[in-house]
Amino acid sequence: MEPRSHLHRVLSEGHFAVTAEIGPPKSADGEVVRKKARLIKGYVDAANITDCQTAIVRMSSIASAVLVMAEGVEPVIQMTCRDRNRIGIQADLLGAAALGVKNLLCITGDHQKFGNHPEAKGVFDLDSIQLLDMVRRMRDEGKFMCGEDLTGARPEFFLGAAANPFADPFEFRVKRLAKKIAAGAEFIQTQIVYNVERFRKFMEMARDMGLTEKAYILAGITPPKSFGMARYMKYFVPGLDVPDEILKRMKEAKDKREEGINLAVEIIQQVREIPGVAGVHIMAIEWEEAVPEIVKRAGLHPRPLEAEVRPAVVVEVEKPVERVEVVAPPAEEVPEEAPPRVEIPVEAVKEVFSTVRSSIESLREGVNLLHDSLARLERALLGGEVVPAEAPEVPRVEVKVEERPPVEEKPVEAKEVPEEKEVAEEKKVEEKRVEEEKPAEEVEARVEEKPAEEEKPEEKPAVEVREEKPVEKPPVEEKPAPPAEGVEIGSFSGEYRPLSERAAGLPEDLYKEPGTAFIREVEIGKGEKAFKVGGTNVLPFHLFEGEMRHEPRVAMEILDVKPENWPESLARYFADVLDDPAAWARKCVETYGAEALCIYLMGTDPNYLNLDAKHAREVVEKVAGAVDVPLIVWGSGHAEKDVEVLREVAEVVGDRGAVIGPVEEANHRTLGATAMGYGLPVVASSPIDVNLAKQLNILLENVGVALDKILMDPSIGALGYGLEYTYSVMERIRLAALYAQDDKLQVPFICNVGREVWKAKEAGLPSDETMGDQEVRGVLMEAITSVALALAGGDLFIMRHPKAIELTKLIIKELMQQN
Amino acid sequence: MIVAERKPIRRVLEAIEPYQRVLVLGCRGCVAICSAGGDREVETMAAALRLARKRAGRPLETGEATLIRQCDPEYLAPLREWADKYEAVVSMACGVGVNLIADLFPEIRVYPGVDTTFYGANTALGEWQEKCRGCGDCILDLTGGLCPIARCAKNLLNGPCGGSQGGRCEIRPEVPCVWHQIYERLSARGELDRLMNFFPAKDWRPAGHGGPRDRIREDLKMDK
Repeated sequence: MEPRSHLHRVLSEGHFAVTAEIGPPKSADGEVVRKKARLIKGYVDAANITDCQTAIVRMSSIASAVLVMAEGVEPVIQMTCRDRNRIGIQADLLGAAALGVKNLLCITGDHQKFGNHPEAKGVFDLDSIQLLDMVRRMRDEGKFMCGEDLTGARPEFFLGAAANPFADPFEFRVKRLAKKIAAGAEFIQTQIVYNVERFRKFMEMARDMGLTEKAYILAGITPPKSFGMARYMKYFVPGLDVPDEILKRMKEAKDKREEGINLAVEIIQQVREIPGVAGVHIMAIEWEEAVPEIVKRAGLHPRPLEAEVRPAVVVEVEKPVERVEVVAPPAEEVPEEAPPRVEIPVEAVKEVFSTVRSSIESLREGVNLLHDSLARLERALLGGEVVPAEAPEVPRVEVKVEERPPVEEKPVEAKEVPEEKEVAEEKKVEEKRVEEEKPAEEVEARVEEKPAEEEKPEEKPAVEVREEKPVEKPPVEEKPAPPAEGVEIGSFSGEYRPLSERAAGLPEDLYKEPGTAFIREVEIGKGEKAFKVGGTNVLPFHLFEGEMRHEPRVAMEILDVKPENWPESLARYFADVLDDPAAWARKCVETYGAEALCIYLMGTDPNYLNLDAKHAREVVEKVAGAVDVPLIVWGSGHAEKDVEVLREVAEVVGDRGAVIGPVEEANHRTLGATAMGYGLPVVASSPIDVNLAKQLNILLENVGVALDKILMDPSIGALGYGLEYTYSVMERIRLAALYAQDDKLQVPFICNVGREVWKAKEAGLPSDETMGDQEVRGVLMEAITSVALALAGGDLFIMRHPKAIELTKLIIKELMQQN
Repeated sequence: MIVAERKPIRRVLEAIEPYQRVLVLGCRGCVAICSAGGDREVETMAAALRLARKRAGRPLETGEATLIRQCDPEYLAPLREWADKYEAVVSMACGVGVNLIADLFPEIRVYPGVDTTFYGANTALGEWQEKCRGCGDCILDLTGGLCPIARCAKNLLNGPCGGSQGGRCEIRPEVPCVWHQIYERLSARGELDRLMNFFPAKDWRPAGHGGPRDRIREDLKMDK
């Protein structure tokens, strides 16, 4: 068979072939291509002309090929599947053949993501193997892909394909090569070979499959120009394998370029020894001048056959100098200097990117799954201090470039070597994108979700919870033995992510709506242990949009008389102190860490024991003497009796800043006066209703009690006993206070939870299968009630069970952690 | 399912700029499952729109409704009545819903509230991945159930490109190379021969390159 091209002739006559790569410019300047061709003429059998390599727009491969032919060099055009569909490809190839192009390399093409138009639509109508098959049938069968006849001259291409022995899965690479050859590939250009051993293995497998008999395999060769480039290829170019030895040699070399050329020559000599290697394809990236030197030193010069290249069309390009003389140019246009002028900024930009790149390396390393541990070790050993060593080379680059025939363009890349600059840019884009992709979740939904999630743990009997998801939820586990350890409470896991982060992409003003006023701050107690409640301008725990100056607090409840109807699960925590209020108070503070106490003067209730004011006074005196935490004194709730009792008590706790109550509409004048007299805050109790609560505040204010001495008691209902109604009323009160300028409602809430919960029948029913464990049930009922009301705006809670208190405080603490 | 995500609020605001009464219309189909256009998201969208317009001093009235599906005329029927009460509809369904509303109710101004992204699977909590591209000519029988059309950046049909390394795609390191996965799957099954067969160029017409696609089942049609 008559060879289809000069390259084909060289190979078929058994000569060791040499091809090199020419990258067209990013401009319409044909002279750039011609000069590159002149540079390598006589040193190569053919020159590959890339088709927008790494997806960067450049002068077309076919047009450049015509210019190269005009310089007497035989071109190998490249055709990728990225930019044209089967119609465009067939049309262009007919044209290329008509222009005298004889060699065609069929490749899939780098993904547009890596180029300078990452937003482009990638065509990929065909893949490289289908492309080969299509062109082979056009040539050999005279058929277009559709099956229609191609009448007249056929495109007589010598067909080539690419192979990457260093990509994965390794074993499949040779098989895929076989598919390419079966589809029509007659010559193969491989990815850059640095790892000669792996390449040897690849060739061995290729020989075993008989592939070297069917196609000419040219090994890809690239002289590393610098240590930085070698390192870059090792770490950032997918499908490239650079052994440590190469890096080491480049690092240690005094003259990096000399060493690069040495390496290329050595690799050529090594691959030449491998049976089945028919030649080399030299891709001197950014460094075409090195090609003649490499060819000479490798003993491959002169070339055995002289190319007879005759383009179908003779292209005459006017010399720039002449053109300028003819076209009276604008003053500043100095043709001889024009290419270097373009050159310098490009180099400068490259250097900027190389600096950026080195700093990005460490970032990228962390995420790059392609790097094995050896690669990391390598970097640890060789990275870092090398970058400055490369810097002095920079000026030399520029000088040399100016002296040489201007090689205007950017790196002539190996087929799958993305340009460094582009990669660096890409990385940035990628990072940015990642940021943007962070959950732009529905803000409001999330805000509501957060508390809801954290409430969950309570909704199930704890033992089950632990079995299902022990880590995520605070398990409450029942142990039968000693009371103090009856129920165990776990802790929260996971980390809070600020809403601003989760709402990335949503403008802040869309989800932030702080209230127009603050809830009053009321001081509870006096002295060291005193604390304040209230002081918020947002709905509970909406810390992303406003302020909660004080977190919700819990006061522990004790009684003036020994309780008769407390379930065992609650009473056992206080069994030893129930008949001694002072000891009880001490136990609450010392054992259970109570930060405030509420003394419920139940025994004074005329409908119960009807104990007198003197009894109340004694109890309160004892308690006040036993502990130093703030106190709340809660009367029996009998309006008349409370006036008498609390007046007596106020005398005792007047200097403690204790809270007294409940104050109702019926006794607000007298109790209001008492409170004012001693400067004590009061609990203003009203039947659960927005207007009644407001009315009582107004009445108290009229009497002279300042709003910052009032705690509102909305008369809450426990879980299962009107909790949702309470929640709704409290929420409406809070909304009116914060967003409707209703200043009479800008008062903290106090919620008497313990009493309501523990009087519920369910809190006292014995353990059984349906209702679960008695204690866990009671604890959860109390904690759920408190937490739910905290979410409605509750500021101060009166509670009984130590474990319920612990659980409630834990949840409140976590909810407060948002900032 | 069809995966979608909420459009940037600004874009929706621009679309409904001239109107005072807008219906935010969700869909309980795919978009509800992928948390883009169900009841909850409708509520959020409506609230965000109201809030933004309140800020801008041009309060907006919103209606909220979520239909069982927006891709079926029978479920869209109530729109005919609602249309009078609103000047515009923001559909939180995928593009199918928006189109069908526009087709059926020429008098209704309908705007998209989500960007319809792909056909995907819910691979982890809060994570969806593209698994199918609806190319109309399924080849999953040949590729071990893994789709190179949807999951290969270059839609390759004859094996992995040179950018496949360590089982990862060169496009993004977190993206697995589907061809690597296909290779391993078929290797393990001893069916590697399948990959050695030449896979001819694909007919892209069923993939939508032949114009809008439809499907007609004569046996199910009523109007004969």
